[in-house]
Amino acid sequence: MMTVTTVNTDIELSERFHWIGRLLEGWSIYRKSLLGKIGLTLLLLFALMALCSFIPPWADPMYHPMTGVDPEISYSVGPSMRHWLGTDFMGRDILSQLLAGAKIAFMVGVSAAFMSVFLGTAIGMIAGYTGRFTDSLLMRLADMIMVMPALLVLLMLAALFGQLSIWFIVLFIALFRWPGVSRVIRAQTLSLKHRPFIEAARVAGASHLRIIFRHIMPNVLPLSFLYMTFQVTSAIIIEAALAFLGFGDPGTVSWGMMLQWVWKTGHMFRAPYWLLPPGICISLITLSFYMLGRAMDEVLDPRLRKEGETD
Amino acid sequence: MIDKGKEIILELEHIVKRYRTRGSFFGTHGKDVIALDQVSIRVVRGEIFGLVGESGSGKTTAGRLIVRLEEPEEGKIYLDSNEIAALKGNALREFRRKVQMIFQDPYQSLNPQFSVFDAVSEPLIIHKIGNAEARKDSVWQAMKSVGLSPPDDFAHRYPHQLSGGQRQRVAIARAMILKPEFVVADEPTSMLDASISAQIFNILLEMREKLHVSFLFITHSLAAARYLCDRIAVIYRGNLVEMGPGDEVIQNPKHPYTQALIDALPKFGYSGEVKRYQTLLRAERETSEYVGCPFLGRCKVADETKCSRKKPPLKRLGDSHSVACFYTEPEVKTGSGSKE
Amino acid sequence: MALLVAENLSVGYQTQKGYLHAVEGVSFSLGAGKSLGFVGESGCGKTTLGMALMRLLPPNGMIRQGRIFFDGEDLLQKTDEEMRQVRWKKIAMIFQAAMNALNPVHRIIDQIAEAILTHDPLCDKEEAYEQVRGLFQLVGLPQDRMRDYPHQYSGGMKQRAVIAMALACQPKLIIADEPTTALDVLVQDQILQETKNLQKEFGISIIYISHDISIVADVCHDVGIMYAGQLVEYGAREEIFDSPRHPYTKALLSSYPTLTGEKNRLVPIPGETPNLIHPPLGCRFCDRCSRGSVSCRTETPVWIEISPRHKTLCD
Repeated sequence: MMTVTTVNTDIELSERFHWIGRLLEGWSIYRKSLLGKIGLTLLLLFALMALCSFIPPWADPMYHPMTGVDPEISYSVGPSMRHWLGTDFMGRDILSQLLAGAKIAFMVGVSAAFMSVFLGTAIGMIAGYTGRFTDSLLMRLADMIMVMPALLVLLMLAALFGQLSIWFIVLFIALFRWPGVSRVIRAQTLSLKHRPFIEAARVAGASHLRIIFRHIMPNVLPLSFLYMTFQVTSAIIIEAALAFLGFGDPGTVSWGMMLQWVWKTGHMFRAPYWLLPPGICISLITLSFYMLGRAMDEVLDPRLRKEGETD
Repeated sequence: MIDKGKEIILELEHIVKRYRTRGSFFGTHGKDVIALDQVSIRVVRGEIFGLVGESGSGKTTAGRLIVRLEEPEEGKIYLDSNEIAALKGNALREFRRKVQMIFQDPYQSLNPQFSVFDAVSEPLIIHKIGNAEARKDSVWQAMKSVGLSPPDDFAHRYPHQLSGGQRQRVAIARAMILKPEFVVADEPTSMLDASISAQIFNILLEMREKLHVSFLFITHSLAAARYLCDRIAVIYRGNLVEMGPGDEVIQNPKHPYTQALIDALPKFGYSGEVKRYQTLLRAERETSEYVGCPFLGRCKVADETKCSRKKPPLKRLGDSHSVACFYTEPEVKTGSGSKE
Repeated sequence: MALLVAENLSVGYQTQKGYLHAVEGVSFSLGAGKSLGFVGESGCGKTTLGMALMRLLPPNGMIRQGRIFFDGEDLLQKTDEEMRQVRWKKIAMIFQAAMNALNPVHRIIDQIAEAILTHDPLCDKEEAYEQVRGLFQLVGLPQDRMRDYPHQYSGGMKQRAVIAMALACQPKLIIADEPTTALDVLVQDQILQETKNLQKEFGISIIYISHDISIVADVCHDVGIMYAGQLVEYGAREEIFDSPRHPYTKALLSSYPTLTGEKNRLVPIPGETPNLIHPPLGCRFCDRCSRGSVSCRTETPVWIEISPRHKTLCD
């Protein structure tokens, strides 16, 4: 016969264990999706790139993406043994720029996505649950933001404050992207609000705050999580677009920045080894996040899963 | 109607509940739907009171008003002689500890993200009762009392891993863990198979024995009401049409609607094809809404002039049996004639 | 003589967790103009049986074994195109919650007319509408409501419309799966009585599938009790209800509260239904049976004939 304390921890363990069990079950479903596997593989590749971004400059300072100076090359030249992808217009190594760009893509993508989903979920839940005046207020705010031309506002801000730092861009993306998430979360909250288990919680005496955080949030988080993958996609593209248009942070090397340099220095049609890698990377990383999201959709929504077919 | 000596735990007094449907886009006013019309019920402490009706009768609404998921437009509800509409703050929390509800749909009344342990311990956490150890003990006890034994097996399971019957037991354990005084059971077995329903009925009876809980058992099945309930009230379109001791109402139904319900129930191959009471019209007749007897549209024994003018009040016949009909007769169906 | 004969029918589904034996070795025969009810609780295979008879199983379902003879022809030998000819013209089906299967954007009259026109290309629209008028009268729907949309009908009316659609092509057999769940008690009773009358008038055979023994109890000539994919007792209605033999039938009957007679304590059936992916050898009811013996668990039960119209898998 176990003591009470042991049984207590047993329950906690079996709960945590069960959480792991569900993760494993989700993984086995995920694994079956071809899209999911391709997406994950690509993402792991990019993650590897990001992790290895410190290697070239560490090996030899001339490989530094921003400040690297090759004593022999000070212009753009094609791939060689020395520079596997060639050099940019200042003689800097393109491969190390590409690796650094991967790092930025992940940083920007994930942070901006996380912030926008966090805001969107919180606001969506509160709007959906409280209803009436607060709901209208928040949703009108969301509408206004959705309607605003993000680029124009950014232009104005750039004009006011000069060049924008990368973290400002991240914040900016988050502030402009939360409305989309909040609409979906609000709809989900509305449908949950009237489900019997929520009413049961009310009858049991739960406060509104408890219902929102303990009952509604866990049921809404899978959707948020799913949206995060899509938001990463758009965050990366927005940052690349901003950088390409010249509104990026000049102190960081992102793929968008690389594209800007190619264009600005007139190498668009002259240096495919410089133009193509960042372009392909942007496309591929967004594609892989998208595939990840699609595969997760199957994990989260049991109805989309296929049963075994007969021959 | 009830022995004066017995204590009344819950009372509904002239309850009226209206829903306003929204008007159409072109500006016509919304219509009022009267879900409950002057409904008064008294439940004695320790009894199981059955509220029997079909869909749209208002029975579920009555249950929801009692647990304060909604508020009535008119009338008052008393728990232990205290009016519940006025309760706020701590008093409201106390009320929530004493009055609980078991919902109809076992597939929707449990949070899919909560384990059985989470679900059953939730009310204790909300009311800040006991520490983790004491809570665990209470949950174990509650699970054993509804037959989810051994508790170790079930505590960490999630709703999608349980059958409908098991989920409903979790819902019962959750409702009972605070040792409430009054429980509204809203069609707890209508989505379950017969053999599982039988298990649930017996659990409810045990709860009444052990915890001295009073129940309002809402159902569309007169047979289930007969099995479980001490007294039964039959409700039709928001109006109470008959009320009395269970056996009395079923063996001696006086209202044409109750009689029609009994006619419609299965005889399991016994007795011939002939219905006993035959009070139902095949096709509905035209009536104006909310004026006159609510059952007029389908009543074979009705008199169109008398029954369309006024709504028959709930009148007491004899001891504790009440009927709302202008034509209540003694035993045999003879002619018309009103009784005291 | 018999309109529909099933021999040793076994149906299953291929699922992620393995092959699910939904129906095992079911045999029965149904005469013209008779009604047969299949009763069982969730998971007993009755819906699967109904769908298999019409060969309407989902992609992962298959009829593993057995034969189905309808009007002398082996349905399992037919091609898809031939089955389509059989469906609705000879065998009509009323699905669960059929009233929700009415297309909300088409008028009722159009939906029923479409069923007629699809299966009788020689018919023209006017004739079809005439037939619909006749059907409405048959099922007790008012003529002036023919051009309404489904949402304007009450639950009972929708069900009647669905029955009219099933009758539209004058089938010989109707398979009704839970035809009256979601309807109120009074409407349910009315519709069942009316269906019984229609059946007598037109000599249609009906198979009722229900979890509710009360529906089957009043309207069927013969009853089959199903448990865990198998038919455990089969016979004339009176004999089954007067003298049930199989322990499951007895247990099922005693878990229904009655309106008359003694108020005995309801005896629920302990335990849960068996896993059909790995079904037990021997009797499937054994775990929950009050009379289980060692031989029950290991030996495959055999049919015991109690009377010409009553057989059971256990005595």
